[in-house]
Amino acid sequence: MANKTVTKTAGTNKSFIDRMGGQKFIVLLIVIALFIFFCAMSPGFRKYTTVVSILDYSYYITLMAIGVAFPLMTAGVDLSIGTGLVCYSLIGGYLIVHQGWPTGAGMVVSILLGVLFGILNGCLVAIMELPPFLATLCTCMITRGVGSVVVGGFGIPWPTAAAPGGWFRSIFKIQVNGMNIPIGFLWIILIVIIMTFVLNHTKMGRYTLAIGSNKEATRLSGVNVRFYHIMAYVICGFFAGLASISYSAIFATVQPGSGAGFELEAIGGAIIGGVSMTGGVGSITGTLAGVFVICLLKTGLPFIGLTANWQQIITGLVLIVAVLFDILKRKKEGK
Amino acid sequence: MKKKVLAVLLGGCMVAGLVAGCGGNSGDDAAKSEGGSEGGGYHFEVVVKSFQSTYWQAALQGIEAAQEELGVTTNATGPNAESDIADQVNMLNNAINQNPDGIALAACDQNSVIESLQSALDKEIPVVCFDTGVPDAPEGSVYATVVTDNEAAGAVAAENMYEVIKDTIANATEPVRIGEVNQDATAANIIGRGMGFINKMKELIEADGKTVAVIGNQLYVDSVENNGDEASADVIIEVAVPAQTTVELSATEAANIMNKDDTIAIFGSNQVTAEGVLTANQNLNVLAATPDEGIVGVGFDAGATLKAAVADGTLIGAVTQAPVDQGRIAIETLYKICEGEEVSDVTTDSYWYDAENMEDENIAPNLYD
Repeated sequence: MANKTVTKTAGTNKSFIDRMGGQKFIVLLIVIALFIFFCAMSPGFRKYTTVVSILDYSYYITLMAIGVAFPLMTAGVDLSIGTGLVCYSLIGGYLIVHQGWPTGAGMVVSILLGVLFGILNGCLVAIMELPPFLATLCTCMITRGVGSVVVGGFGIPWPTAAAPGGWFRSIFKIQVNGMNIPIGFLWIILIVIIMTFVLNHTKMGRYTLAIGSNKEATRLSGVNVRFYHIMAYVICGFFAGLASISYSAIFATVQPGSGAGFELEAIGGAIIGGVSMTGGVGSITGTLAGVFVICLLKTGLPFIGLTANWQQIITGLVLIVAVLFDILKRKKEGK
Repeated sequence: MKKKVLAVLLGGCMVAGLVAGCGGNSGDDAAKSEGGSEGGGYHFEVVVKSFQSTYWQAALQGIEAAQEELGVTTNATGPNAESDIADQVNMLNNAINQNPDGIALAACDQNSVIESLQSALDKEIPVVCFDTGVPDAPEGSVYATVVTDNEAAGAVAAENMYEVIKDTIANATEPVRIGEVNQDATAANIIGRGMGFINKMKELIEADGKTVAVIGNQLYVDSVENNGDEASADVIIEVAVPAQTTVELSATEAANIMNKDDTIAIFGSNQVTAEGVLTANQNLNVLAATPDEGIVGVGFDAGATLKAAVADGTLIGAVTQAPVDQGRIAIETLYKICEGEEVSDVTTDSYWYDAENMEDENIAPNLYD
């Protein structure tokens, strides 16, 4: 289903691009092209430290994007992941910094909070039948408020790498002979492999896509649609929880009131990577590639000397092209 | 279906009520700061931007100091977050209804409070604004405004940075670069600070016989008088503004400047951008105490991360505003008004702090977490 192919002669003759994975393959080519372009244009970009920075800043967006791909594939959306991420990170960090909890316990709380809000989102959408946009917009506001109330307006500095309890920062980055090794990317690859398997070879994944394609038909074929619909949001919440940990690990301070807008980068990444906003289509590897288009633009554009306004214009244009591409492809398939 | 929707709405209302109730209570409990009742003095209401942040706790210290000194009483309130504008307007109206002898106000939003200020004027309650002015306030309602002189604050950063880098600039045979990361090009205080730094740095460098060119963000570049030519200048000041106010984008902008071989110093002009400089340094590891060893970093404001970086020497220092002074002066100004004295606007100083002086008793209270 993820790779509907343009049938030329009785469906046997796939084009080269389709055989390589369709949109995913094109996006991967774009990522490579962008990387080469920025390397050629800026000496600062060519440095190893820049690559480490890009990876550092990509973890939380990637994790959010993998999570939000599931609601997107059910033809829904989750707007609460950005402010949710900050909320879970604030509360987990508050318990560690101000209540003396061990770091591990605070991290578990962060993830559990993500799951909890995932269940709430899922129930609002699947049981109460609220439109996903509205339901998750509300939880977006709630998470933003809850985070600020719990910490009382304070920024939360999670323990630094050298401080006691700072071990969690080395989940994503370790130092060997004074050089930073971004091992977080290995975890991301592992997660992408696991979630690709979940999406393509388990009931959870197949039913998620089925709900997005045709909810009624899925229900009539005896699937517990309500349960799997809720689970799509729970997965999303769980990944927002994981993203909150990667955010806490990379950045020194988490500020209450921030986080709005993070979700758009994650959703944008998933869509560039071929997840359809109308549901039923998508892949995790494509999402990963899509996120890197966004991350490369975010880091690369300042390096080639473009100022803030131009960065926004170009990022907006790229998103339009990606969505247009999706629509054109769909039209072509519809014929 | 209808029942379900109703149930959700009712449930939502209950949760909202709970949250609002709890928030309000905790605010009120903490907010009571009844002080010295001796002297039979005046009673002032204080409305701050967000009661619970440490910046405002520092302001409250100054308010308490003033009430002891003057024998007045104060009652301070404020919303949970600086963005809770409607809550604050409510609190301001409540304060007016209590007919205090004066009100000290740090407005979350410059426009939302105008109507309330009119009713304060009608009731002849004097208002002193602190931290943030209300430029369009009804004529006669705001007696005085107590704010940071942001241009001077930026200049303090430039002066202290120049002390460390001036020999390198004097001896340089090739052009050198100084970076500045500003959170935005829209807020008056950030622009004031950014330009304060640029103008002072330019003045100091030119006084020593070198030429300066300012490049980067258009608004800042256009605001510079007699800007030099980038191709021939001895010193280039590069101004970066992130596309959004996040640590990550600030860090990217900072990393871009810090990656250049000719960069000798960098200034982050508020907490977010200063933390951006530090985040970039996590991977680059170039910040140092002198230009010979690396890049000299200077920050602005406080917060745990910034304070730690100043204490361990990653940044050579930072500039902090004076919330304690602002709180104290706001109450003193109200007192003067009640005593029938003439008052005028006050700008408060900013302090340079580094590893040496951050424990001093006139600095430490201003360094909030």
